[in-house]
Amino acid sequence: MSKKSRRLIRSGGQPAPAPAEPEVVPEAPARTFFFLPDSEPVAVEEAELHELMKLWRHGRATRTLGQVISDSYVTVFSVVLVGAMVISTVINAQQGMTGCNTAACDTGRLLVPTAVLFGSWGLGLGLSRLFGPVLASAAEGSWLMDAPISRHRLLRGRLVLPLLLGFFVPALLTGLVAALSGMDWLSVLAWALAAGSGALAQVALAASEQTHERTWLLRLLQGIWAALAVAILALVVSVAAAWLPASAIAGAGTLRGLVFAVAGIAGLVAVWFVVATLRRLELIRRARLVSGGSLVSGMQGAMFALDLGLIRDILVERRSIERGHVRPTRGHGLGLRALIWRDLQRVFRSPGALVPLALSLVVPYAVDALRMSQLNPLLSGLALVITLVPFLGGLRVLTRTGGMARSMPFKTTQLRTAAMAVPAGLAMLWGLAAAPAFIGISGSGADRTIVDGLIAAGITAVAGVLGAVRWVTAKKPDFSAPMMATASGALPPTLLFNLFAGLDMVALVTAPLILGAPPVWSAALAVLVFIVLRGTFNMDDLRSQQEEAQKEMAAAKQARTEKIKVPRPTR
Amino acid sequence: MARKTPVLKATGLKKAFGPVVIVDGFNLEVAAGEAVALTGRNGAGKSTVLRCLIGAERPDEGAVEVNGIKVSETDPRIRRDVATVIDDLDFFPDLSVVEHLDLLARAHGVADPDGAVDEVLEEVQLVPQSGQLPGTLSSGQRRRLALATAFVRPRTLLVLDEPEQRLDTEGVAWLAERLLAERQRGLAIVMASHEPALVDKVATRIVRLGDRGRVEAASE
Repeated sequence: MSKKSRRLIRSGGQPAPAPAEPEVVPEAPARTFFFLPDSEPVAVEEAELHELMKLWRHGRATRTLGQVISDSYVTVFSVVLVGAMVISTVINAQQGMTGCNTAACDTGRLLVPTAVLFGSWGLGLGLSRLFGPVLASAAEGSWLMDAPISRHRLLRGRLVLPLLLGFFVPALLTGLVAALSGMDWLSVLAWALAAGSGALAQVALAASEQTHERTWLLRLLQGIWAALAVAILALVVSVAAAWLPASAIAGAGTLRGLVFAVAGIAGLVAVWFVVATLRRLELIRRARLVSGGSLVSGMQGAMFALDLGLIRDILVERRSIERGHVRPTRGHGLGLRALIWRDLQRVFRSPGALVPLALSLVVPYAVDALRMSQLNPLLSGLALVITLVPFLGGLRVLTRTGGMARSMPFKTTQLRTAAMAVPAGLAMLWGLAAAPAFIGISGSGADRTIVDGLIAAGITAVAGVLGAVRWVTAKKPDFSAPMMATASGALPPTLLFNLFAGLDMVALVTAPLILGAPPVWSAALAVLVFIVLRGTFNMDDLRSQQEEAQKEMAAAKQARTEKIKVPRPTR
Repeated sequence: MARKTPVLKATGLKKAFGPVVIVDGFNLEVAAGEAVALTGRNGAGKSTVLRCLIGAERPDEGAVEVNGIKVSETDPRIRRDVATVIDDLDFFPDLSVVEHLDLLARAHGVADPDGAVDEVLEEVQLVPQSGQLPGTLSSGQRRRLALATAFVRPRTLLVLDEPEQRLDTEGVAWLAERLLAERQRGLAIVMASHEPALVDKVATRIVRLGDRGRVEAASE
């Protein structure tokens, strides 16, 4: 029974009295604009707004309490089980490595965790600079930042997560590597603390610099840590290749005190910068906070689709917005030459991309030093893919949407080939520089003849270019296409294939070399891959041709049927 | 009097997305010096028609020809003859405004690329932004750059999808004058627009699209 019916019964079945005549309210004078209320806005607490938001969410839960408890149980069980397995494996490996007391083991024990430590510091600093590290979502930016609340309390909470991540991730990573290298547990603790405290200090410094809107110091430090990490890795390679005596670098145990000291100093520095940042948190501009938040949400969206290309696009776009302005340069040549020349100008405009390309030369020499020369084409090719991608920015724009390609009076194959020219040239130079590693210059002696080594280096360079082109031109996942049934549910095929984009081409082209077949097979496969990647087979055109042929066949069939229908003369 | 050879000829276009038919039985002929404006409410199929005309979308039925050549988005002859300003134009994030125009002019083999670029840059009022990267431009400036990319290169057919979008009043007036001049110079133009001032000034023919992209009314 409705409330209205119950009211009617209580009133003895009498109908409700007629509504009173509405009072005549004088109309407000017509205005084209309005002022805010005259009264001063009341200061509200940020907690009150959060309470209000909680109230809005009340009753909109999508899961029952039972489901939450069940999911939590499964999560905790999985974490405990997997964690126990990982810890057991690490302890076993650590005990196995502790027994090794050779000079080579001592060297590795010192150098590898050090390289990881510097690498994690550089990475932490880079990520902090990229995202903020203090950030706010777009919703918070438009709803909370406009409200008359203290931003300090809100942003203080936002600072906690980066600081925690900054401490625990490098500490766990470096501690793991230290344990696997066979250090005793006290040393492992020292290295983990040093890495964690150091990274914490870097994140705190980045937050402090964010309040000042400065980045030069962060860039400088990031460069220093990255250079140190690479230099130490080069040292590892040199020792492994017997270019340096292992006895020259040893004594991990004697460094334990120093590492503890680094951890202590870094911790103090971190506290100093955290206090300094907390005092100035209010000064971070909303635009700066929200841009970090939008970057995170954009990258989250791209990660859900496993679209790594889109993630890179977001980062590139952000970098170009940060740069904002360039000194325009005049182009050269006409037609396709203009495109190639412009790509060359890009290299000179952003020479920073050449540094990772040059550093990737460490990989073939390291692989050679580790006596894995058979796998050198594959591993070096993959390193080359990663470092060549920044040089294929032009190709990316020409392939991700049809707009720019449609503006150019060339075939797709011509456009793609022109866009590959400069990266291919760079890859060939890389191949020449890496050739000694393919010939074999480590302590174990030559692995190939000079000619074979040069051919292997050349094929690796070509495989790297083709892998990078494949990665850059990979189509984004098409969720409207027929799905594949997997254990994780229905997935579009491109979602899975894109994960291996680049790797697949390198593996295909270098497979004959790895399997010991004549290099001509690799060359033939490279030519085939090139023909496909340059867009020789346009699927739309092929489909269109197929449909045309089907229409013609249908028309011919109809014509034949009509002929049959012609009545024969009767006798 | 013999009718001029059409620059663009579309016959019996049909396009559906799944069960939803967007355009059905659409025919259009545009000769040199003619400007056709497609109008109609949102969702009438204007953009889909334009995308079919330039080959960005493959029609389910029907055929499109430009200068007697069957339209294919990848055909270099079509790319040479047809300049487009539709929403999928992508810019190189690391090339400045002037470098984009310079690249396009040179790619099309314009004899004096510097002169052509300077002229167009001044016309679209992007001289102060010439060194800026596209990511830093306002939405209106990006639209001006998109229009400039169509004007800096040779063309016989210009296809525009709501070119007045995000332009200020002064910008719309300039665009109308520019398109009028282009038409009078013998260019064929097809555009979708919601701006009466632009349509009235430029169009020689107005085609109003109704339900399922059917032509509701056409006026000379």
